[in-house]
Amino acid sequence: MFDLTVIGAGLAGMLAACNAAKAGLKVKVIAQGLGALHWSAGTVDVLGYDPATGTPVSHPLQAIEALSAAQPAHPYALAGTQALAAALDEFQALAAEAGLPYAGAATAGENLWLPSPLGAARPALLAPKAQLAGALAGAPLLIVGLQGMRDFFPELIAENLRRAGHQARAASLPLELVTTRRDSNNVHLALALDDPARHAALGDALAALLQPGERIGLPAIVGLKEHAAALAELRARLGVPVFEVPTLPPSVPGLRLNAALRGHLQRLGVRLELNAEVTGLHAAGGRLTAVETATSSTRPRRHEAHSFLLATGGLLGRGIDSDHAGRVWETALNLPLAALPERTAWFRPGFLDPAGHPLFRSGVAVDRHFQPVDEAGAPVYANLWAAGGILAHADPVQERSLEGIAIATGIAAAREIVATRRPDEEVTS
Amino acid sequence: MNHIQADILVIGGGATGLGIAWDAALRGLRVVLVEKHDLATGTTGRFHGLLHSGGRYAVKDPQSAVECIAENRILRRTHSHCIEDTGGFFVVTPEDEGEYPDAFRAACAKAGIPCDEIPVAEALRREPRLNPRISRVFEVPDGGADSFLAAHATAQAATQAGARILVYHEVLRLLVEAGGSGTRVTGARVRDVARGEELEVHAALTVNAAGAWAGRVAATAGLEVNVIPGKGIMLATSQRIVHTVINRCRMPGDGDIIVPAHTVAVVGTTDRHVSDPDELTIEPWEVSLLMAEGAKLVPSLDRARIVRAWAGVRPLYQQRQCDATRDATRAFALLDHASCDDLPGLLTIIGGKWTTFRLMAEKVVDRACEQLGVTKPCRTAETPVPGAEQGRYWLGHRLHEVEEQALQGQLVCECELVTRAMLEHAALANPTHSLDDLRRDLRLGMGPCQGAFCTYRAVGMLHEMAMRASAAPGDGGAWDVATMSSPAQTPRPAAGAAPAAMRQGANPLLRGFLEERWRGLWPILWGAQLRQERLNQVLYQCLMNADHLPDDGQGGAGCSI
Repeated sequence: MFDLTVIGAGLAGMLAACNAAKAGLKVKVIAQGLGALHWSAGTVDVLGYDPATGTPVSHPLQAIEALSAAQPAHPYALAGTQALAAALDEFQALAAEAGLPYAGAATAGENLWLPSPLGAARPALLAPKAQLAGALAGAPLLIVGLQGMRDFFPELIAENLRRAGHQARAASLPLELVTTRRDSNNVHLALALDDPARHAALGDALAALLQPGERIGLPAIVGLKEHAAALAELRARLGVPVFEVPTLPPSVPGLRLNAALRGHLQRLGVRLELNAEVTGLHAAGGRLTAVETATSSTRPRRHEAHSFLLATGGLLGRGIDSDHAGRVWETALNLPLAALPERTAWFRPGFLDPAGHPLFRSGVAVDRHFQPVDEAGAPVYANLWAAGGILAHADPVQERSLEGIAIATGIAAAREIVATRRPDEEVTS
Repeated sequence: MNHIQADILVIGGGATGLGIAWDAALRGLRVVLVEKHDLATGTTGRFHGLLHSGGRYAVKDPQSAVECIAENRILRRTHSHCIEDTGGFFVVTPEDEGEYPDAFRAACAKAGIPCDEIPVAEALRREPRLNPRISRVFEVPDGGADSFLAAHATAQAATQAGARILVYHEVLRLLVEAGGSGTRVTGARVRDVARGEELEVHAALTVNAAGAWAGRVAATAGLEVNVIPGKGIMLATSQRIVHTVINRCRMPGDGDIIVPAHTVAVVGTTDRHVSDPDELTIEPWEVSLLMAEGAKLVPSLDRARIVRAWAGVRPLYQQRQCDATRDATRAFALLDHASCDDLPGLLTIIGGKWTTFRLMAEKVVDRACEQLGVTKPCRTAETPVPGAEQGRYWLGHRLHEVEEQALQGQLVCECELVTRAMLEHAALANPTHSLDDLRRDLRLGMGPCQGAFCTYRAVGMLHEMAMRASAAPGDGGAWDVATMSSPAQTPRPAAGAAPAAMRQGANPLLRGFLEERWRGLWPILWGAQLRQERLNQVLYQCLMNADHLPDDGQGGAGCSI
C-alpha cells in the first residue's frame, strides 16, 4: 500500500513526489506520458507579464503579492509568496544535487531576461547555469549556429537583439563539426556533443570566430548526458562566457531537467509507471480508495493509496479534454471544472491576444490546502489534492508562469499531504 | 504614373480569370491580369477541391452535368499533375430513401457520365470507414483537384504565352472614357498594394472575372451586377478518412460530400447567403452541422481530428431584365455591358464551378475575339500546362522522393514534407509576399500541427536568404511552378536574391502567419487539435516570446534593459 499516488509525471508531479518521498512517504507516480518539459525552454518562468496589464514584471514575487490580492483564487494566491519562495529554494536544491544547478539574476528576486529562439527577451526567474550568461544587458553577444540546422537561426536572433539595443552579431559553423547524420534533431546534436572530441573541435572553431569582449551564445545542444563537462570544457577552452539559447523542441534543457528529476525519484525509491492512463476510480466514505489504469488486457490495473495527488496538467497535458459538442472534462477523475466559459467565449480573435483566451483559465478549483472542491467549496474527496497546470484561475502561458505554478503548487500540495499523513511529526524538507 | 497597354485586361486571379488570360494569350492577344491578393485567394482556393464528374448535377441541372464530364476529361489531360484520380461514390444512406437513386443513375446515363452500381460490400472493402448501413453505391469518375497548383500552372502557361500577371494589384476603378465612338470602358486604374503606387492599364476590352467581388468592380463604373455571395464552410480532417470522393446520393445539400485532398479529407459544405463576400465568419452551429451530416457518410468523423475550417463564397448571380445576352448555358453568366448597359468595352463573367473554368474562359475569349476581330480558335483543351508532363498526382510522391533522396534533414514542414529547397525556390520563383502565399505554393503549415514548427523555420530561412542576398527584396519572380511540388527535383537557388516576402520583415511575417492560421483554427478547436494549439501557444509565447518582439510597440521587455 502506497502512502501517496501521484497522477502525472510533469514538473508538479515529480517535485511533489520527491518532496513527499523525502518526508518519508511511500510514493508511486503513474502517468500517461511525459510532462511538458521537453517542449519548454528549460527555465523556471514564475511571472513574466502582469496578467491584467500585460506590462513586464521585474520582481515576480512582489508582483505576485499584488496579483494575489487582485485574484484570490489564483494558484499563487492559494500557495502564498512564502511557500512559493520556499518551493523555489527546494527546486534549486534538488536541481543542484542532480548536477544541473539553476540560479537567478545577480540581483536576487529579479527576473532574468534571456534571448529566445527569435531573439526576443524572455522573462525567467531561474535558469540553468548554461543559460545564465545570456542575460541581456552586458557584453556583446556572438550568436553562433550550425549551417543547415533547422531549429535555430542565429541571424534572426542577433537582428532582434540589435533591434532591442543590444550589441549582437551572428555566425554559423558547419554542421559537420558536430554530426554527419543527414537528419539530426536537437537531441542527436546534443548526444554528439557529449563526445569530448566533438566539443573540442567546436571550441576551436568558435575560438576562430571570437572577437575581444564578446560572449558566445550557442543553440541549447551542448551535451545531454555529459552536459556539465561539455559546457565547462568549452568555457575553459574559450576563456569567455558561453551560454545556450533554447531551440524548437525537442528541448535539450527540458530533457536534462526531466532526467535529473527522474534520477531523484529513482534514488528516493519512488515507483514510476508510464503509459498508465487513469480510466476509473474507486471511492468509499468520501475518500478515494483506488484509481484504475488501462492495460493491454481488458482488466484494468488498480492503484490503491492513502492519498492521491492529481497533477495531470491542463489542456496541454490532457488533464483536461474536450469534444466537438463543446463538452470539457477533467480526464482522470471527472472532477468538476471551474471558470469554464460558454462555448462562444472560449477564444479571443487574435492568437497572440495579450489578454489570453478565456478557456485556458478553466480547471480544477482547489481550497487553500490544494484539495479539489465542488461548486459549494467542499472537498470532493478527503484524501485528494491537485497541483500544476490542472488548476483553475490562471493562464500560465499568458502570465509566463508555467514552471512557477508547477513548482509552487506541487511542493505546497506535497507538504499538505505530508502534514495530513503525519500530523504528529514536524515536517521539514 | 505608369501606363500599360493591352488588348485584354482581366480582373481577378482565380481559376476563371487565369483561364481567360491563358486562352487569350494562346490566341495571340496581349493580356494583363490583375489580382488584388495572391492567386487563388478567393473562391478558387476556398472550395472542397472536387473535380466534378457531373454526378452532383445530373438530376438537378443536366446541362451542367454534361459540361462537367466533358471538362473533367479535358482537365485530366491539360492539368494532369493537379488532378488525383480518386474516383467517386454516390452512396444511399438510410435517410436517402425514395426514387432519387434510380433517377440519378438514369440522369448520369443521359448526361454521358460513367456510373456503375457496385456491391455495398465492395464499396466497404475499398472504403472501410463508410457507414455500413448504406444500401446502394454508384461509382463515378469524380476526382480531387489541387486548385492552388492548377492556378499557378495556368498562370505559368499564360505567362509563357505572353500574358502579364500582376498579383497584389487592386482595381481602384474602371476607366470610362468618352471618345469618337461613344463612351466605353478603356481599362482600369490599379494600385500596386505592395509598393503603394498606382498605375493605369489601358485595354481594348476589360473582363471582369472577380467572382463574388464582380459586383464591386462593376460598381466602380456605376454599373449594377447583382452578385449574392453564398458562403459555404468546409472542414479538413487530420488524415484521409477516405480515399474516394464520397457523395450522398440525394439532391445536393449541406454536409453531403467528403473529398480526399493530399494528406487530408475535406468535409463540405454549407450554403448561406451573406451580404459581404469578405464575411467569412464560421459559426459553431455550421461546424456542428457538418460534423453531424458528414458522420452519416463516415461515422468515425465524430472522433476525427479536425485541423482546419474555412469558408468560401460562391458567386450567385441574380438576373436582371436586360440579360438577353446571357450565354447559352445556365451554369454561368456572361454579361456584355455593351448590350446590357450601353457601355462597350467590358464583359463580366460570373458563376460556374472550378471544374468548368476552362470552358467559361473559352466562352469569354470567344466573345472577346468576336469584338476584337480575332479569328483564332481556342486551343486550351489540347494544350497541357507546364507540369502536366509530371503525370497524375499521387499522394505518396513527396514521401517517396524524401525517402529516396534521404531529405529528412531538409524538411521545413514535416506534416506536408516541404524541404528547404522547395521553400527557397518558391520564395524567389513566385511573387510571394507572405508565408500564406508560400502555403498556397507548397502546402506549408497545412498539416496537423498548423504551423507549430514550420512558421519559425520558414521565417528563419527566409531571413537567412535576405541576409545572404546582395540586394534588397524585390517583387519576386514570375510564375515558375512546374516542379514546385517535388522535394527531389527542386533546386536550391543560389544566394543572391532576397525573397519578396522579407520586405515586411521577419517579425511581421511570423506573426502574420500565426494569426492567419488561428483564423481557421478557433472554430474547430476541441480535443487533440485544441491540445495542439495550446502547444503552439507554449512554443510561440513561452519559448519564443513572439508577442514581445522588440519592434512591435508592445513594451517589448528587452527595451527596458
